[in-house]
Amino acid sequence: MSDLDAYRAKARAWLESQAAEFGREARRGLSVEDDLALGRRYQRAKYDAGYTGINWPVEVGGQGLGHLEKVTFDAEEMQFGMPNVYFGISLGMPVPILIRFCEDKPWMKERVIAALKGEEIWCQLFSEPSGGSDLAALRTRAETDGNGWKMNGQKVWTSWAQYCDYGVIVVRTDPTVPKHKGLTYFWVDMKAPGVEVRPIKLAGGDSHVNEVFFDDVRLEDSQRMSPVGGGFAVALATLMIERYVATDSAGFGPHLDLFVETARDVEFNGRPAIEDGRVRSAIARNHAMRAGLDSITRRAMLMMQAGMPPGPEGSLQKLVAVRSRQKLSELGLDLQGNMGLAFDPHAFVKENWGTSWLNAPTGRIAGGSDEVLLNTIAEKILGLPQDHRPDKGVPFNQIPA
Amino acid sequence: MSILYDEGQQAIATESRRVLDARTDKARLLGLLEQVGAYDETFWQTAVEQGWTALALPEAHGGLDLSLVELGLVAQATGAATAGAPFLTGGYGAAMAILHGNDEGAKGDWLAKLANGEATGCTAFAEGSSPLPTVPAVRFDGGALHGTKPAVPGGLKADVAVVWASLGARPVLVAADLSAAKREAVNSFDNARLYADLVFDGTPAQMLVQGEDAAALARDVLARMAVVTAHEQVGGAEALLHIARDYAVTRKAFGQPIGAFQSIKHRIAELYGLVEIARANCIHAAAQEGQPGFALAAADARLSAIEAYDTAARDCVQVHGGIGVTWETGLHLHMRRARSLAIEQGNALFWEDWLVDELVKGDAA
Repeated sequence: MSDLDAYRAKARAWLESQAAEFGREARRGLSVEDDLALGRRYQRAKYDAGYTGINWPVEVGGQGLGHLEKVTFDAEEMQFGMPNVYFGISLGMPVPILIRFCEDKPWMKERVIAALKGEEIWCQLFSEPSGGSDLAALRTRAETDGNGWKMNGQKVWTSWAQYCDYGVIVVRTDPTVPKHKGLTYFWVDMKAPGVEVRPIKLAGGDSHVNEVFFDDVRLEDSQRMSPVGGGFAVALATLMIERYVATDSAGFGPHLDLFVETARDVEFNGRPAIEDGRVRSAIARNHAMRAGLDSITRRAMLMMQAGMPPGPEGSLQKLVAVRSRQKLSELGLDLQGNMGLAFDPHAFVKENWGTSWLNAPTGRIAGGSDEVLLNTIAEKILGLPQDHRPDKGVPFNQIPA
Repeated sequence: MSILYDEGQQAIATESRRVLDARTDKARLLGLLEQVGAYDETFWQTAVEQGWTALALPEAHGGLDLSLVELGLVAQATGAATAGAPFLTGGYGAAMAILHGNDEGAKGDWLAKLANGEATGCTAFAEGSSPLPTVPAVRFDGGALHGTKPAVPGGLKADVAVVWASLGARPVLVAADLSAAKREAVNSFDNARLYADLVFDGTPAQMLVQGEDAAALARDVLARMAVVTAHEQVGGAEALLHIARDYAVTRKAFGQPIGAFQSIKHRIAELYGLVEIARANCIHAAAQEGQPGFALAAADARLSAIEAYDTAARDCVQVHGGIGVTWETGLHLHMRRARSLAIEQGNALFWEDWLVDELVKGDAA
């Protein structure tokens, strides 16, 4: 057994030992608040067992292992439906950026450990009403105020902000220069005076994203994590962290086995739907697509094990998997005829065609829309030209609103 | 087997691509389209010289004892160049059937010759619209074949065919020396594939295997050939992806390269996705040769490769606009090959059924 296989086996054994207390069955029917409380206890158990900060340096409370161990653990954990969703962004982007760019090291380490234990949660305050895909079009501004800064504006789509203690934020500090050049990166105390969080109820019924308003919020200069005007580079660094996270060729929706099961259970024209050519075609094509994505993932893992950078084809995963999950979920509902009309908004997305379908659009937009991902593939991998950008080089305050 | 190519495999990929780049001539290939009975002899000489015919055959029969992985890499280079005589895949399929059959005489007669290129081979499984009919109409009776196999790839020139036939109510695989068979050329949209109806009227043949073993071997051979063809399709699709990209960065309209328009750049980015998914499935399938999951992996590779090559052929022409539909530009070489390869070794409908059957048979109640 390779070291990695041994690590996987050990991780799996630990996860199995925790599944009864924290897994999918234990979470069924819980309110968000109760699920979050369970999640905090699970996060603490993970910390105590040495499965948090797996690939972070030991000096900041990590395990000092490699990226492979981290992806291996995540892939195993994903199968148990553990309540880890509240910490995914916090530990995925803001906290690693804090480790890298925060000057006050003792304070940083305190925060990192609290975040690893699930005691504190961090959010990422990037998107705004005026710019999601076009991040650098953001309008929230910070002006110098004595020896610090005063911040005003609004962020949106901020996941879990209502439960967060801190956030990382990019704001405009100079509107007289082209849009990418006038940005600065800070951390912000979400409990500070002038910060107001308003949850947004999404189409699927849940409210995990928020609007966040800032009204004369005071920032100390020690909260600044980039040079003044150098915020866009740190924002990009945030988005580039861990290009190879644990992926799911099911697009974070149900496994194809569930579709096959549904197709065997229901009848169409008096015969099991699995015998219908259209259904078979959908199964076969989805299988071929998912098998290809899985093979890409396995190859990436082997390349990393061999000390080589994985190929750029990994960037296909979310694009291809989520949009096909959307269509397969539609068909999964269709297959059931009128029985498909029954809906449980609290059903787990990985187990249910209804919630999978209704929440799929979020997956195609969050973390880079399909269109942005296609642009990235076209430009970064294939060398195709950038889109026409009329605001290029124009001072921000002269761009027509 | 690992799904990371080793140095030897990478060298085969690079070298086969280099040799074919140097020896492939678009004008020659275009000329072949309008002739019935001619094929890319330069390619075939190259294949024999380079030892590609011997790659995946065992050393005991004059082969190089390599695997589907290496043959797949050569097929990918072949597909990129729309080079190719049909014998690379057909000869491999015929050899695999003979090798895993029970007739020692047939092994002695054909395997070494197929390996060194002295003989060419094909497989004749399909009848009517069925790639592998449950009860073939071609009969094997008293050591001889009766009946017709339609539009067999390579059938016009191959020396030996492995034929899927019926012996009474049981299926058999037999090897027939085609010098004793009548062949009727089929005028096709891809004439270099040498399609011919093989008309057997008491043609002598050697029985390789019969009954359930014959059915199992026919499926295994078909799956192996499908994986080789899938590599060829990936090679073609990837070549079209690059052609489309290169055109989109140079051709200008409305004051900018057309590749700056999302309608064009997204189309090309989508092709990249299809090519990489098909390639990943090909790599996986080739590495699964001889393993329990091979039949399923072959179907994944085959289906994604058909989709990649078909889509690339459509979209690459579309990106080019008017110049893309001219004879001289030659994109139709790929368009035609995408179609012929989509049909050889069984169409997508056949493979969709194959895949679902494989998927549900494991957990059949």
